[in-house]
Amino acid sequence: MVDGDVDERSAPREVPRTYAVLFVSFLKMGLLGFGGVMPWARRVLVDERRWMTEREFVELLGMCQILPGPNVVNMSVILGARWMGVAGALLALTGILFVPVVVVLMMAASYATVAQSELARNAIAAASAAAAGLILGTALRLLRGARPPPHGLVVGAAVFVAVAIVHAPLLWVLAVAVPAAIALEWRASR
Amino acid sequence: MTAPPDVLLEIAWRFGSLSLLAVGGINALLPEFHRVVVDLKGWMTSAEFADLFALAQLAPGPNAMVVSLLGWKVAGIAGAFVATIAACGPSSLLCYFAMSRWERMQSSRPRAVIQRALAPIAIGLVLASGFTLARAADRSVAALALTVAATLAIGFTRVNPVWVLALAALVGISGLA
Repeated sequence: MVDGDVDERSAPREVPRTYAVLFVSFLKMGLLGFGGVMPWARRVLVDERRWMTEREFVELLGMCQILPGPNVVNMSVILGARWMGVAGALLALTGILFVPVVVVLMMAASYATVAQSELARNAIAAASAAAAGLILGTALRLLRGARPPPHGLVVGAAVFVAVAIVHAPLLWVLAVAVPAAIALEWRASR
Repeated sequence: MTAPPDVLLEIAWRFGSLSLLAVGGINALLPEFHRVVVDLKGWMTSAEFADLFALAQLAPGPNAMVVSLLGWKVAGIAGAFVATIAACGPSSLLCYFAMSRWERMQSSRPRAVIQRALAPIAIGLVLASGFTLARAADRSVAALALTVAATLAIGFTRVNPVWVLALAALVGISGLA
């Protein structure tokens, strides 16, 4: 496979052709999404299926973050509906949310015993450290794919500092960052 | 396990009334869910709540599934599905109607500007969540090394993340991290 440095805006765009392919793709994101579904959503939608470009993905993720509800759940509703209407939205939602719920309920029954085992605890701790890297690495990919202009980099960095370092409430961060980002982008695009 | 209908109804309206406030996802509302299920209703202890949260992080699927587990704890399988649908249903419906209007709009300048403006915010938030998880997970130098290695592998190669996670779990089992 080619590396991500080709100009992905010119990459060919595909669309899901059958309900089955749509469902299986969202199911994959849901069932492999250990430590967060978003890295898997990016991988499946952008790299594997080529249903979106890197830039489209990050712009849609931004919309999903300011709408209420879990980001990836919102994303599955929007994409399912965009490609295949209400049935598509329900199929995507089932794959990414309801099937994993059944899995987590099965896990919950045995969780207490597994959590006692030191071996399992060590494996989980190490995998959690790697899962954090999965999200950080995905952020790097999004950054390279979206190539924000300088004022965008400032906004992104400010949001990061406010949320991760200052621990400001997200709603307040968004209430300031969203209008500011739109104003800056509006000026820059004139 | 069969749950009395009034408990299911109560889960439905308590969780459902929070759905449209979940800007930034369910995790942004965890203190509120804690207040309802532990302090207000006494459906579980604070320690049980924390265990369910940890399990939701650990399990495959969206981290929002913590609400499914809360529902399960209160009212079994039916509770899990009622809680999931109540917490995600209203926000999903809003998303569906808002975005189908949005996507029907002609590709106007305001639409393009707003989408471009939100992209760096999205990236900043993803970075922040990765950073927060790393701070919680990296309690040793070896764990930090795993985070850095995974970041580089995912950021700069096309390696399948399954192998990255599996390798890290093996390192953990071997006692190195």
